[in-house]
Amino acid sequence: MVTNLIYFYFLFFGIICSAFGIIFAPMMYLSAISLFLFVCFSSLIYLYLNSVYLSVFQFILCGLFLSVYIFLLIKKIGRINLRLGLAPFSKILVSSVFVLLFGGLFVLYFFQEFDSSLYSFFNAVVEKSFDTVNFRHYLYPLSLVGVFVLVSAVVLRVFLDNSLSVEQPKEQEENKL
Amino acid sequence: MINSLLNIGLAHFLILSLILFLTGLLGVLISRNMLRTVMSLFIMSVSSVINFAAFGYYCDRSMENANMISVFVLILAVIQTIIALVILYKIYQANEYLDAEKIKDKEN
Repeated sequence: MVTNLIYFYFLFFGIICSAFGIIFAPMMYLSAISLFLFVCFSSLIYLYLNSVYLSVFQFILCGLFLSVYIFLLIKKIGRINLRLGLAPFSKILVSSVFVLLFGGLFVLYFFQEFDSSLYSFFNAVVEKSFDTVNFRHYLYPLSLVGVFVLVSAVVLRVFLDNSLSVEQPKEQEENKL
Repeated sequence: MINSLLNIGLAHFLILSLILFLTGLLGVLISRNMLRTVMSLFIMSVSSVINFAAFGYYCDRSMENANMISVFVLILAVIQTIIALVILYKIYQANEYLDAEKIKDKEN
């Protein structure tokens, strides 16, 4: 019981700290490392919620693929030691107030709408989800989604390459003139 | 108060999800580097996945619906991030920087 509690709060604060690390890290590589930690902590949260498949899926897709991809991209463009700047202080202040107001309004709406009780909210959700589906049946469409993503990424890359190669000669001609 | 802190339930995960969503929103609003904006969007997507997983665990014990929706949301989040990264890379090749305000100034 106590171990469970400590484990949950460790994950709770770990995931929040890593999220803040992504946003407020002063250097680019620290931001990328925070992203990797964020993915690890969120995978452990899914494990805590007995979603083993989701946890492994996220760790492989985001931890071993996306984080590494971002890290390599930063390295490729030579911005691994880039100092990251934030917006002006006034903008940060206004944004923070806006975000806090948004969060406060959301909590107020939640409690007012569901009469301060999460139980009625659960009922509303459970009553609407009568249909149960077999997860294994959806593995085939998921693989199709993967193929679709790869194809769209290739098409997008070709499209962007072409548009860039068309734009560059125009700019060069303008510079010559 | 202490009792509610010790008994972990759905509310704890909803609070975690809300904090993460608001953190991601703050990141989108205040960061100047576009790469960090993309990472903040990813935080917002993960917060919604935690929400689904928590509802699945506490409301739907079979976990089938929640897992399926979560995997779809996660795939969409990764797709969005990768496509955004590819576009950012191309923007970097054209401009040599990823500062949103500088790019806006250049366009003006």
